[in-house]
Amino acid sequence: MNDEFGSQERRRVLKIIIAVGFILLVGRLFQLQYIYGDLYGKEAEQNSIRNVPKVPIRGYMYDRKGTLLVDNRPSYTVMVTPIDFNAENLPLLSSILGMQQSDIVAKIKQAQRYNPFIPTRIKRDISFAELSMLEEHRDKLYGVEIQMEAKRYYPTAVRGSHMLGYAREISDAMLEKNKEYYQPGDLVGSAGLEAKYEEQLRGVKGWEFISQNAKGQIIGTFDNGKHDIPPQDGFDLQLAIDADVQALAESLLSDKRGAVVAIDPRNGGIIAMVSKPDYDLSHFSGVTPPDVWRALNADESKPLFNRATLTRYPPGSTFKMILALTALEKGIIDEHWTVTCHGGFRYGNKMFKCEHVHGAVNVVDAIHRSCNIFFYQLMLKVGLDEWSAMGQQFGFGKPTKIDIMEENAGLLPTREYYDRVHGKGKWTPGYLISLAIGQGEVGVSPLQMANYAAILANKGKHYQPHIVNAVYDKRTKKLEKIVAEQHSLSLSDHTWDLVREGMRRAVMAPGGTGTAARIPGIEVAGKTGTAQNPHGKDHSWFIGFAPFDEPKIAICVLIENVGYGGSFAAPVAGLCMEQYLYGEIIRYGAKKKNADDAIAAKE
Amino acid sequence: MNTFFNEYFDRVTFFTVLGLVGIGLLSVYSATFDAYEGRDFYRQLLWAGIGFTLMMTMMLLPLRWMQRSALPLFFASLSLLILVLLVGKRVYGSQSWLGVAGLGIQPSEFVKITTMLAVASYLSRSDVKATDLKDLTKASILVALPIILIMLQPDFGTSLTFLAMFIPVLYWAGASKFLIIIIIAPAFVAAASIMGTTPFLIVLLLLGGALWTMRNENRFVAALVFGANVVIGFLVQIIYDKLPLYQQKRIATFLDPNNDPLGAGYNVIQAKVAIGSGGMFGKGFMRGTQTQLSFIPKQWTDFIFCVPAEEFGFVGGVVVLGLFAILLYRGIHLASIAKNKFSSLVAIAIVSLFAFHIFVNIGMSVGLMPVIGIPLPFLSYGGSSLVSYMMMAGLLMNVYANRKEY
Repeated sequence: MNDEFGSQERRRVLKIIIAVGFILLVGRLFQLQYIYGDLYGKEAEQNSIRNVPKVPIRGYMYDRKGTLLVDNRPSYTVMVTPIDFNAENLPLLSSILGMQQSDIVAKIKQAQRYNPFIPTRIKRDISFAELSMLEEHRDKLYGVEIQMEAKRYYPTAVRGSHMLGYAREISDAMLEKNKEYYQPGDLVGSAGLEAKYEEQLRGVKGWEFISQNAKGQIIGTFDNGKHDIPPQDGFDLQLAIDADVQALAESLLSDKRGAVVAIDPRNGGIIAMVSKPDYDLSHFSGVTPPDVWRALNADESKPLFNRATLTRYPPGSTFKMILALTALEKGIIDEHWTVTCHGGFRYGNKMFKCEHVHGAVNVVDAIHRSCNIFFYQLMLKVGLDEWSAMGQQFGFGKPTKIDIMEENAGLLPTREYYDRVHGKGKWTPGYLISLAIGQGEVGVSPLQMANYAAILANKGKHYQPHIVNAVYDKRTKKLEKIVAEQHSLSLSDHTWDLVREGMRRAVMAPGGTGTAARIPGIEVAGKTGTAQNPHGKDHSWFIGFAPFDEPKIAICVLIENVGYGGSFAAPVAGLCMEQYLYGEIIRYGAKKKNADDAIAAKE
Repeated sequence: MNTFFNEYFDRVTFFTVLGLVGIGLLSVYSATFDAYEGRDFYRQLLWAGIGFTLMMTMMLLPLRWMQRSALPLFFASLSLLILVLLVGKRVYGSQSWLGVAGLGIQPSEFVKITTMLAVASYLSRSDVKATDLKDLTKASILVALPIILIMLQPDFGTSLTFLAMFIPVLYWAGASKFLIIIIIAPAFVAAASIMGTTPFLIVLLLLGGALWTMRNENRFVAALVFGANVVIGFLVQIIYDKLPLYQQKRIATFLDPNNDPLGAGYNVIQAKVAIGSGGMFGKGFMRGTQTQLSFIPKQWTDFIFCVPAEEFGFVGGVVVLGLFAILLYRGIHLASIAKNKFSSLVAIAIVSLFAFHIFVNIGMSVGLMPVIGIPLPFLSYGGSSLVSYMMMAGLLMNVYANRKEY
């Protein structure tokens, strides 16, 4: 051991250094706490800068013509600052607000744990009577304040429940995931466009710096508000929706269960998206009364369910064009190939029926008059693989990626699907016969069907369906157009022409199944569908587009459990297309005659 | 039984540490009490339990085994640091965390222990002399390895703690005072030169005085050292002036947080207000307005000292400082009575590390030191640091238990 190791001197040096350190710290503590103690004590009382979030105005939504669909209106919210609230006033507050005392206590307790000095929301959107009662007892109700906030307001006849969606108070689970932006009690888009475009609509919270004393009482703005960050209002959405068509479609389905989806085939914009029964969005704009929630959830007609995008029903005869297109494009048949319909078709020991005895029909006739026998036979010639490949090209069996979150992919049976469900080699072509007429396992949503109609309308060129056309960026003051992905489904013109001609005749020619979809003065093409289902009457389908030569609207209508597609869905589609193309319903008025003369002259 | 305790159980260290951990838990409870319903507190309590077990384990480890396995353990722990760089999690901008069974582990905290054991083991070898430059260089390389790896994370504060531990160990092992001054002088000179002319001159004067007293060192070398430090001072000044303004501001704020009251200095100002407003006797447990109103960001980690100082005042602050003082002096005492060089060096390493953490952390909270994010031993929230400090306390108790072994 060398004599310097841990020597007396070195020990002393280390001890002195440590002593100096402690003396400095104790001296400093003495200085801060004893000498300046009062000064810092005052500062602690005063200094306290409180950051108060300033909630921006949520973005507005307009339809394609600039009609305001989703607006904001002021509403009054009752806030309680837990530390200031006197429990003796609980019965009074509870009777004014018509709330259970235990509910109020629960809210105050939760806020107390978070920060007892910051006011917390007790009840949103109070009525005028409640407001005046509170004002009357203001001097008594210490710690209770009223804050003005915005709530959603829907100024037009459009309900758009499933499409527009709603914003609700943030859930605990969601808050945990997004703590850096949201706080308890914040509204957050929870369904439809409100959810999908939450980040654009909500804007950016601002902050106000308020000086408060240590008890949380506000002294005034901090540094004259120089450091305040103003909120940035949410961006507005410009929808492809036509408010008039949307409102008309909603009213036409008002006592039905079903859906309407209309698309502008020229750009993929959704003109209308209706699901019925629906619910009143204004119930969701402030607080949703628990009994309203319970009623909506318990309703067996499922008003919360978006039938336009979530339904998975067989499409019935509206699906026949898929098979016709496949057969024609692959050269399996041509326009001269005919089948003779005797009203029935036997395969194995099973009998498949047709609605009528159609006699000899070719492909155009078969679509025109919706002959099942033709398609049964054709399916056996075409086979499953080609058919499902064509179906996939039309977007069946997968989500359309429309800009609301709730969407069902549907089901398009393929060879793999049958092998999986029935076992390899354990299914026969007989299984396919129903598929030919859109029955059996195939499942589609009205949105997919409208998209399919749009592809037919545009001879293959199509766009990703979207509800929002543009977002108005309030910072740059620019309207940011949303560019829809463009797709192309290339089939020969001859194939398109034959199938579209069949669809035109289905509406325009005598003997067609969709004549109820006619519009004065404009040629409409379409196809009806009557889908059997085990729960009651058939589902009524119609898909179509107009005008035939230069389509501006493609549509799908589904009405559940009513019967024939031609009797129920087709007239609704006709009215919606008429409203869109003329801007009004003309069929009962003077304009009708002029329009009919025009079409007569053309022919 | 009683004789066993007298002989092997270091009650002073044990109860001091228990006291500090207790104060730490109460402080964490107070600072994190909010909507999360004490989740952080229970987690810290769990860590304290783990720490206690490991502290007792460390006390019981055989001396020879520790000495022999110090180097292998050291290199094994370095591989953890490399692992952290490859797959670690990022928290507050530095990649220093490993996820193990759902809990975040900071390997750098444990590498402190393996490093101090390795250095002590190396310097206590009979063929190694603290006066020999070659041996000193080898020891320095040992310490440089973890420092480099931790700088890569990057975690400047933790790297500094390794130096703070190493230099006193060298000194204790017998390195010349002259050498120690050569090592530490440039850092002080550089900082003083940025702070202004007066601090610069004072530091130079102190350096000159210190060199003057070492009469038996080579006068020429001493003059050279002094000259070199003057040059360093001016160079730092020149480089500082050439830096873009925003970087100058960052350095200036680092050295004196009061320069930026709404940014980097905000914590320090709020911490000072918290401590100052505590007065002589404090505002009472759970009643500190600064603490309870969340005025000090990240208070439960780096600014934990504000809690006892605000809620229990000057009295509370002095109790904490007093407990730390007992621990440090106990450590020096243990280093002096240990017959074994290895044990003695380990004790000094622990004392130095604790002292650095205490002075820098509390110094930062009271506004005497720049803001370096290092925890306050036994008090700050954080599992890895609490466990590693309790393990170090266990090592001190081990030094006591083995004090008579050669």
